[in-house]
Amino acid sequence: MATFLMLLTIGLPWIGAICVWWIGDRRPRWQHILATGFSVAAGAASILLLAFSSSGVALRIPVGGFFGDFTLVPDGLGVFLAVIAAVVGSLAVIFSVDYMRGKQQLGRYYALILLFIGAMAGLGLSGSLLFMFVFWEITAFCSYALISFHNDDPKAVAGGIKALIVTQLGGIGLLIGALIIRSQTGNYQILDFLANAASIQPSILNLIAFGFLAAAVAKSAQVPLQTWLPDAMEAPTPVTALIHAATMVNAGVYLLARFYPAFRDVPGWATSVVTIGLLSGLLAALMALVANDIKRCLAYSTVSQLGYMVYAVGTGSVFASQFHLLSHSVFKALLFLSAGAVIHIVGTRDMREMGGLGRDMPFVRAVFVIGSLALVGLPIANGFFSKELILEGGLMHGPRWAYIGMLLGAGITACYTLRMVSMVFYRKRGSVKASHDAPVAMRISLGTLSLGVFTTWLLAGAFGELLTGSLPYHQLQTSKTFDLALELLNAPATWLALLVILLGFALWMMHKQLKPLIVFLRPLSRIAENRFGFEHLNQGVIRIARSLSSVLRRTQTGQLNWNIVGIVGGLGIVLALLTWRI
Amino acid sequence: MNPTTLKLCLMAVLSLVGIGLYGLMICRNLIKMVIVLQILVKAAALGLILAGQMSSQINLGQSLGITVIVADTIVAVVGMALAVQVQRRLGTLDVDALSSLRG
Repeated sequence: MATFLMLLTIGLPWIGAICVWWIGDRRPRWQHILATGFSVAAGAASILLLAFSSSGVALRIPVGGFFGDFTLVPDGLGVFLAVIAAVVGSLAVIFSVDYMRGKQQLGRYYALILLFIGAMAGLGLSGSLLFMFVFWEITAFCSYALISFHNDDPKAVAGGIKALIVTQLGGIGLLIGALIIRSQTGNYQILDFLANAASIQPSILNLIAFGFLAAAVAKSAQVPLQTWLPDAMEAPTPVTALIHAATMVNAGVYLLARFYPAFRDVPGWATSVVTIGLLSGLLAALMALVANDIKRCLAYSTVSQLGYMVYAVGTGSVFASQFHLLSHSVFKALLFLSAGAVIHIVGTRDMREMGGLGRDMPFVRAVFVIGSLALVGLPIANGFFSKELILEGGLMHGPRWAYIGMLLGAGITACYTLRMVSMVFYRKRGSVKASHDAPVAMRISLGTLSLGVFTTWLLAGAFGELLTGSLPYHQLQTSKTFDLALELLNAPATWLALLVILLGFALWMMHKQLKPLIVFLRPLSRIAENRFGFEHLNQGVIRIARSLSSVLRRTQTGQLNWNIVGIVGGLGIVLALLTWRI
Repeated sequence: MNPTTLKLCLMAVLSLVGIGLYGLMICRNLIKMVIVLQILVKAAALGLILAGQMSSQINLGQSLGITVIVADTIVAVVGMALAVQVQRRLGTLDVDALSSLRG
């Protein structure tokens, strides 16, 4: 049964992708219906799959030779990732029915989204590293193609290429790690590797650990490779909500959490993970504080929240990181989709032009505020519980300096969230007006997600059981939902964090009175506006690559004789190496 | 096969390969290149027959050698036809004129 459901979760979206593409752009009504139907069916299959999770290999297909076996493992982490991909995916598709109504090339749009949903579910469920890499690259391709969906817009095309190149850097890390694991354990099975990790030479394990860390950093848009995510905001908003907030960017955190038991004892690894999480959490929050584009602001916020998850893995709170991943994908999808509703109706992304929109669209305002509550981490919203859990774990097991940094990040989060809400929905009226509130299909997905914000934290206990029951190599500390909530409410760390959050609120409320402080911080905000120079770093890399290639270009004479000299020379070198080895 | 004959045959193969590669490196005329290529392939055929002899699979070696000769004839014919086309289009047989591979 589990096998059948897993194949459905991966296969249904892919069949849907073919159907939507095949039905053609002349029947957009059918495209909407088919895409919605297939994605909702996949979502249902993935939810059913939750009941069948286990730690063993459920499906094994020998591919033969070097490629090893294709396996599917329905363990807690994987099923959970598949559920998020399929459920949030189906909500994003439902949202698209209104968002993309009357747009051109719907076939390409829906086919890529459905392909992505299937690949993301496969990434989570695959038990073989090599096939996980294949799914990983399919998601990267879909992300690239959907960022560049408006392919007559040069900015969108550039953003897509950037995302593709940067995430490829991570893909190389993953592939190298997978190949080294193959050479050490004889196959690509994740379970075998986790069982034998202790017997691998420390220096080689080191290489694998940092290769996977590079993969996670690139995929989850962490410092210093975070620059692709803000530029990915050229994608249609449902795509952003699905790929760049709720699912694909989580793959990096998932990878770290999945292999945490193997890499826990690698010297320096945990510290690097904590440092990367801290830097991303803080720097991205500062950048969100000065961004004026609503989607860009949310993108920085995503980087910052992903930083929290990475930090949690580094401090050993794997459960907290996965729990925050769940909360984040619900509330950030909600925030992005409601921002998409605003953009769809108002026609601009610049928050300076908005203002006072709350009166025209009370529904969107309500759901946006709900999402913000969770982002900030106020009680009763799911973000509160997961973020407090991370901070508590960090205080107990992590270094003190990192904890203080993350606490500061929580305050800045409160500040920029309040700024965003007030700039868009409150204040006095801006230059743009909203003609109507969100239409029906948008309301369905927004309503479902905002319900999720209030309810997913109730699943903490069940989620913990799911993970502990099916992950033999992780040592997780979980407890029942009620105990967890009680424990959090009794912990002094929670109240400290709430205090910092209130301080962050106060900072924005009084920003008019605090003029001198703001003037004092002017240089910092200017640096933040310049994205802390990471863009210059990218430009530098591009310049070096260009000049190197113009040097190497001289070897390409285009003359046959020289090419043959090269071939003969290469042959000579190979022969020499062979004789030398023998 | 006695060692002297073996050495002689090996030297023949290697010198044919050497002549072929050297020719490919220095020839600029397309027709000459096709001829030089033929020399290289003949070295390969001879090598196959020699290998068959040494591993006492004479039939296999010789039939592979004949296959190579047949396949190689086609290469020569196509190469010559291309040379004719190049001569007609560009008015020269100099391979340096065909430098659209330039990076």
